[in-house]
Amino acid sequence: MRIAVTGTPGTGKTTATELLESRLAAAGTDADDESPPEPEVIHLNRVLEDEELYTEVDTDRESKVADLDALAAWLEGREDIVIESHLAHHFDADRIAVLRCHPETLEQRLLERGETEAKAAENAESEALDVILSAAVEEHGLESVYEIDTTDRAPAAVADELMAVATGERDPSAGEVDFMEYLT
Amino acid sequence: MSQDDEKWGIAHVHASFNNTVMTVTDLTGAETIAKSSGGTAVKQNRDEASPYAAMQMAESVAEEVKAAGITGLHVHVRGPGGNLQKSPGPGAQATIRALARSGIKIGRIEDVTPIPHDGSRAPKGKGGY
Ligand SMILES: Nc1ncnc2c1ncn2[C@@H]1O[C@H](COP(=O)(O)OP(=O)(O)O)[C@@H](O)[C@H]1O
Ligand SMILES: [Mg+2]
Repeated sequence: MRIAVTGTPGTGKTTATELLESRLAAAGTDADDESPPEPEVIHLNRVLEDEELYTEVDTDRESKVADLDALAAWLEGREDIVIESHLAHHFDADRIAVLRCHPETLEQRLLERGETEAKAAENAESEALDVILSAAVEEHGLESVYEIDTTDRAPAAVADELMAVATGERDPSAGEVDFMEYLT
Repeated sequence: MSQDDEKWGIAHVHASFNNTVMTVTDLTGAETIAKSSGGTAVKQNRDEASPYAAMQMAESVAEEVKAAGITGLHVHVRGPGGNLQKSPGPGAQATIRALARSGIKIGRIEDVTPIPHDGSRAPKGKGGY
């Protein structure tokens, strides 16, 4: 099974999926021999950098414009994976986890991570407008999207929730949060 | 009506997954002329409710705008508008149609939706955020 973990930069995807990886590995050792291999976590930004799978550089944003076709081709044949990236919903996947975070908190997290104010602000605005959630639902349908609000949750709790998505213990959801008041 | 009688403003439409709100400002963006209370969709019936709520919101804002002597609006749309439609979504489209129907001239429509990005970003277009 393929699981996409997407969400606006700063929602905590990299942090939570690093925790998820050891949980999946631990679950794998407990299970009987019939169980499928535990999925590998692919941090797609690292693939994009290492394999140079981008078409140009957006100099205003200091951001590489992803070559989605080349990334999809790179992912082909890799089936038991967790794809971690704010682009993850652009690829084939069985379940799409969308991490969310209140824009004010998100902006703080990004500034603390050392991002520029412009970068923190544009991502906070994107989060307030549900840009990634909408794209995920548009591409995969409501039945495949699992929204997870990380605003007041520790990374470990977010990883637990991702584990519930992976094991099928959680139902799909979308549009449970409304961060629009941040903008108006 | 002569050119001199025209007064233009900007309608800032924010269209999220299940909410559409609009603020009308002067051309500098500094002065707020009207502000909607929001066209929140009814969750259980999101697909139908969103454009309808957005339309009602636009109608009430249009009255305020006309009362302030504004005859035309440029429209800045931010956000995908959700609900399985291409950007700008049903909320934004319904809003613009309702403004036009109320007799307000519609000028330039710009999509100024922000782009989520870190070291990478998606290409523009192609549903492309
Ligand atoms: N659940 C959380 N609560 C508080 N801070 C968090 C949480 N998850 C991540 N962070 C912090 O926020 C910043 C962004 O997290 P990161 O995992 O890099 O996000 P992403 O990969 O989605 O861009 C990091 O500095 C990280 O330490
Ligand atoms: Mg990351």
